[in-house]
Amino acid sequence: MSGLSTFTMILEGLLAGAGVTVAVTLASLLLSVSLGFLLAIVRQFGKRRMLHALIDAYCEIMRNIPALTHLFILYFGLASIGFRLSSISAAILGLGLIGGAITCDLFRAGFAALPKGQAEAALAVGFTPYRTIVDILTPQAMRIALPSLGNYAVQLLKDTSIVSAIAAPEIMFYARSMVTSSFQTTLIYSTVAILYLALALPLMRRSACSKPGTRG
Amino acid sequence: MTNFIQPYADYAGEWLPVLLEAMGTTALLSVSAFALSLVFGLLLALCRNTRWRALRRCVALYVAAVRGVPLLAILFLLYFGLPGIGVTFDAFTAAVIGLALAFAAQVAELLRAGLMAIPAGQREAAFAVGFTPYQSFTLIVLPQVVRISVAPLIVTFVSLLKDSSLASLITVDELVLTGRAMATEYFLPLHIYLAVGVCYFLIAWPFSLLSKRLAPPAAR
Repeated sequence: MSGLSTFTMILEGLLAGAGVTVAVTLASLLLSVSLGFLLAIVRQFGKRRMLHALIDAYCEIMRNIPALTHLFILYFGLASIGFRLSSISAAILGLGLIGGAITCDLFRAGFAALPKGQAEAALAVGFTPYRTIVDILTPQAMRIALPSLGNYAVQLLKDTSIVSAIAAPEIMFYARSMVTSSFQTTLIYSTVAILYLALALPLMRRSACSKPGTRG
Repeated sequence: MTNFIQPYADYAGEWLPVLLEAMGTTALLSVSAFALSLVFGLLLALCRNTRWRALRRCVALYVAAVRGVPLLAILFLLYFGLPGIGVTFDAFTAAVIGLALAFAAQVAELLRAGLMAIPAGQREAAFAVGFTPYQSFTLIVLPQVVRISVAPLIVTFVSLLKDSSLASLITVDELVLTGRAMATEYFLPLHIYLAVGVCYFLIAWPFSLLSKRLAPPAAR
């Protein structure tokens, strides 16, 4: 009886952070998808070599440095030169900027997978280059990129746990503060694992279904 | 701008050795965890392809569970949680085990994809010319799987390297934790975390480039 009531108590405590976890996930997902899409379009269809080099450099920097370091630079680093971000906005900005580089690659892979004839045919029947990209290429590329975007969303949801390190009040943050007050360490962190799994499961289902050959 | 660069010039002598040592810890942590996850991942991938349904299900469940749980939760569970039921690791061991457990699932999926890409005829031909199952696996199938999987495995290593930064939160004194200590000591967090970022980049970038070179042309 007491075991179950402790569990419910812990779960209630953690649920207080679930809202922030979901909000940070959604906000950074939105930021990263829009940024990534923009970067992918410019990188794939833009003509300026300079811009290509800049985008490539941006992607390499974002992809080869841990999220935790990016967050510390944004939260502690910028604060020291007088540019103070709240922990939640630093979290969203950090995860979103990193995600921009990741989703840029996913969208580019989507565009690259389209047969060349699609663009040529659209241009031949009189679509402007802009309308070709918007009406013909983007919808098809989106479909190709969707499964990997789903995987990325699961990854992002899990990665929000590290923003507890810059004191954003999400699930892990509540877990850590509960540990210091109740010492139910094993139970609390197991509950955290279950809670994240429960949040990730709907997303995982989606992404697994749209990718053939991953079930079973 | 010169003002900003000045601290690097002033403290280079003090910071470099400390950061280099921390880079060593990060590298050691990542390499040991990756080696362990390769072994564990190969086992999982083989179990995933066996005839026994129950075993296949168990592995699928493990992979799904690890995919849905943040690494940080796994690390906290191993380092802070397990002592509660009488199992104690030091921080470095806990980090190696946690990273290996989490990344074994990814490695297993990659290797499984590699295994499935080898046509069944290869094994059949090996059997037909008298190879034992063990020989046909180690001499015929595995080398081809390695060739297919090496580029994505290197990408996985880079993400493991980056995720090894989470070990700082269970007190492993690798790059990020060293950076935190230095930031409080010198009170120059921006400079120090940027330097930490550069350190990671210097380790990770060569591997990223390598993975691109090794990827089959179609995937580039």
